[in-house]
Amino acid sequence: MKPSRQRLSTRIVTLFLGLLLLVQLAGFAAIRASIASNARATLSQELAVGERVWRRVLEQKSQSLVQGSSLLAQDFGFRSAVASADIDTLASALENHGARIGADVSAFVDTSLQVLTTHDANPGRGSEEALRQLARELVSQPRGSQVGLLGQRALQFVAVPIKAPVTIGWMVLGFSLDQALVDDMRALSGLHVALLAPGEGRHSQLLVSTIPGLDTAELDAARGGDDVSIGGESMVVRRVALASGSSGANVLLLRSVDEALAPYRQLQLTLLLITAIGVLVFALGSVVTARHVTTPLSALVQAAERLGRGDYGRPVEAGPAKDEIGDLARAFDHMRVSIAAQATEIRELAYRDRLTGLPNRAAFRDTLQAAIDAAPQGGRLAVLMFDLDRFKHVNDALGYAFGDKLLQAVAERLHSDGVRGGDVVARLSGDEFAVLLPGADTARAEQIAMRIASTLEQPLVLEDQAVDVRAGFGIACWPQHALDADALLSRAEVAMYAAKRKTVPALAYDPALDSASPETLSLLSELRRAIEHDELRMYLQPKFAIGSGTLVGAEALLRWHHPVRGLVPPLQFIPFAEQTGFVRQLTLWIFEQVARHWPALERAGLQRVSVNLSTRDLLDHELPRRLEAILSTHGVKAASICLEITESAIMDEPQRALTVLDALAAAGFKLSIDDFGTGYSSLAYLKRLPVHELKIDKSFVMAMEHDADDAKIVRSTVDLAHNLGLTVVAEGIENAVVWGLLHDLHCDEGQGYHMSRPLPLADLAAFAERWVAGQPSSEAAPA
Amino acid sequence: MKPRPVWPAVLPLVAACTLAPAAFAASLDVVLQGRDGKPLAEAVVFLESREARTAVKPAQGVEIEQADKRFTQRVTVVPIGTAVQFPNRDKVRHHVYSFSPAKTFELKLYQGTPANPVVFDKAGIAVLGCNIHDQMVAWVVVVETPYHARSGANGRARLDDVPPGSYRLRSWHPDLAPGSPALDQEITLGAQTTSTTVRLPL
Repeated sequence: MKPSRQRLSTRIVTLFLGLLLLVQLAGFAAIRASIASNARATLSQELAVGERVWRRVLEQKSQSLVQGSSLLAQDFGFRSAVASADIDTLASALENHGARIGADVSAFVDTSLQVLTTHDANPGRGSEEALRQLARELVSQPRGSQVGLLGQRALQFVAVPIKAPVTIGWMVLGFSLDQALVDDMRALSGLHVALLAPGEGRHSQLLVSTIPGLDTAELDAARGGDDVSIGGESMVVRRVALASGSSGANVLLLRSVDEALAPYRQLQLTLLLITAIGVLVFALGSVVTARHVTTPLSALVQAAERLGRGDYGRPVEAGPAKDEIGDLARAFDHMRVSIAAQATEIRELAYRDRLTGLPNRAAFRDTLQAAIDAAPQGGRLAVLMFDLDRFKHVNDALGYAFGDKLLQAVAERLHSDGVRGGDVVARLSGDEFAVLLPGADTARAEQIAMRIASTLEQPLVLEDQAVDVRAGFGIACWPQHALDADALLSRAEVAMYAAKRKTVPALAYDPALDSASPETLSLLSELRRAIEHDELRMYLQPKFAIGSGTLVGAEALLRWHHPVRGLVPPLQFIPFAEQTGFVRQLTLWIFEQVARHWPALERAGLQRVSVNLSTRDLLDHELPRRLEAILSTHGVKAASICLEITESAIMDEPQRALTVLDALAAAGFKLSIDDFGTGYSSLAYLKRLPVHELKIDKSFVMAMEHDADDAKIVRSTVDLAHNLGLTVVAEGIENAVVWGLLHDLHCDEGQGYHMSRPLPLADLAAFAERWVAGQPSSEAAPA
Repeated sequence: MKPRPVWPAVLPLVAACTLAPAAFAASLDVVLQGRDGKPLAEAVVFLESREARTAVKPAQGVEIEQADKRFTQRVTVVPIGTAVQFPNRDKVRHHVYSFSPAKTFELKLYQGTPANPVVFDKAGIAVLGCNIHDQMVAWVVVVETPYHARSGANGRARLDDVPPGSYRLRSWHPDLAPGSPALDQEITLGAQTTSTTVRLPL
């Protein structure tokens, strides 16, 4: 949890801090650049102003010089001296008056621009010629003043006319540009001033400057604008030409960049401080904000996890927050509530049968298992399962909607009449219902089953249609029939199907019923093994012609010599084989045995051997072909075999049975109806069957001695058979009296323990020999 | 300041000249123009020759008056040797001076008329000023010939009663460069009136 919160809040903080820093840096950079350019602009402006100041200073100086000189020039004495045309007088007057005004240099120029005389306080080399030149220039182009170079001196020259009364000449006076001037200039403008004259050699010569100890090399380097390092300081320089013409003298105006930028440094520092504080404050602020966002978020994450686990109980804390986070939390809680409701509804759907409102299979199973788990030591419970007879028929005949209504009505009835409180009724599927009876045993369950059955017996009237509802009930009890819910359910189902098969109303589970029980499953595999391991035996029960008492045939019967159990009674595996369909293998086995041993049997005097066919066999269209194959393998004629089929076997699926029987008859087999009189056959159907023989069920034969009704039945059956052209065989002759009765009734054949029990093949030959020697009435049949 | 007519003295001479054959009294009309043809007022023309030099006589009663802090006549032509008076008609005093080589003099701060006139005894041009009034300026052209005239506003000057012959016609204007001499050109006068135009580089 922690890392994710840190991640998000860290990201928020980092993002915003980063942005802030970016903005601040951008601002800082912009301001710095602006300051720099501003300072530069200011500097250059200052320099420009400085230049103007310089020019104005010079101009004002020249004006005052002109004024002073003019006054001087108007002096009568001076004028008369000048007009005297005496050069010496002129020169001395010039010198005198020049000194009066403090000029360093003076000259007189006449009206034809000839320089008549000059005077220099500090004459230098070559200065005189320069002076002449300057004087001429000044006079011929009268301006306020001119700055000129004489040797290594820079001077400001003025020229004033001497009028006597008309201009008779000019007086030119020159005044040095000295330290006082540059100092004054610095005081006025704040700029440093340096006067440079072209010097001998590469470098200029420094005339005067306000910066002590300047290196002219550095100054010379200050060409082409921009910064120059002078005396360790960074300066901006402006060059102004000092004199007109090509004298090459310059005044340099200098401004220290550092000085100019100094006030801005303060500003920048302040800005930096503000930035730092701002970043700090912002960092704190964004940490707090991030927390504010991520703390509720992680609470919501926890809530989501709870919901994911299915814990819908705890409400989500929304707090009083009116913002989006609060909205989210509230929405979350709504979701929680609705998910819980949906989960409940889904659960309902999962566990409830929609049509009837009863619990469904899943619910019933869970309830059952819970009841088992909760049952105390020595407790018991029963599961009752039933389904409606021929429900499919109802659906087909009256429609599915009707079928649904029927189910609902059944459920209704169950609820109202069928069960008491504590019992749980459920609809498992289709038309299958189950009832959980806690604390009930088999007997009680049967009682309940009966009660439900009687409830259902009252016809249901739906849509003006009265429907009779009947059901078959299966019972499985805990703990005797099974130990867990699934097993109980499946065993109750087995019991239910068995009840329906046996057409009893209710039946409790019995392993014998259950072809899927472990015992029977093992039995099945053992049976399979029995064939392979030659554990089966063919026994033959002799059949006799009652009239002559001769041995005429035998019924082939199956015996199983189990290596462990010994001789397994047929009842224990034959019905089971029939249920599983394995009986067909058994039938084929026996048939094959008969076919194989037929020569020996024929030698023993048998005319025919009877083999039992089961219901399954009758429904197998392949059977005739298979039997014929076996016959042809052993070279036995079909007429030597009689196939016995029980009455009820035929009646299960008459059409199909008929087809097979016709095929068998066509193949040449004799066909016999076994256990005649005990099935549901109709006589009309009977006459259509291609049978040759009827076998009267042993129940009648054994009882005919004492029961007149049974005797009548036997007689009627014999007559019926004869009238239909069939032979008749009596089963279960147990004594000579019955033999005699049958003899009188003209029964054709008989078999029973009175004559012989079923014998192994080997014993039959010996028996046949012995029999021929005697008649049954004279000998007691071996038991 | 107009020169006092000297008719009484000269009249007989003039009558004689006029009665004399015309060849002995030529006239000269001079038109003085500047560079662009504009007429030059107050220009001086005079004819010089050997004969003229001998015929020159000083004029009388020439005054150069000062009034309203100005010299009333800017340009005065006087024959050589003329004595000129400088009456100061102003309330303030004037200090008239000249440094010209033709006549260097000064009349220090005076009122009224100085006792002694100034005699211009050298040929040439003298420029006069007032020491305390810079704007006052006048010229005196001293000529060695009786034949001289000053142009009027129309730039014309007439020289009468000039004996025919060849002369040097001299022209001058105050605006010429100070110290520069009068223009010089040869001219021959016949019996009739001669007209000529002189162009001065102004």
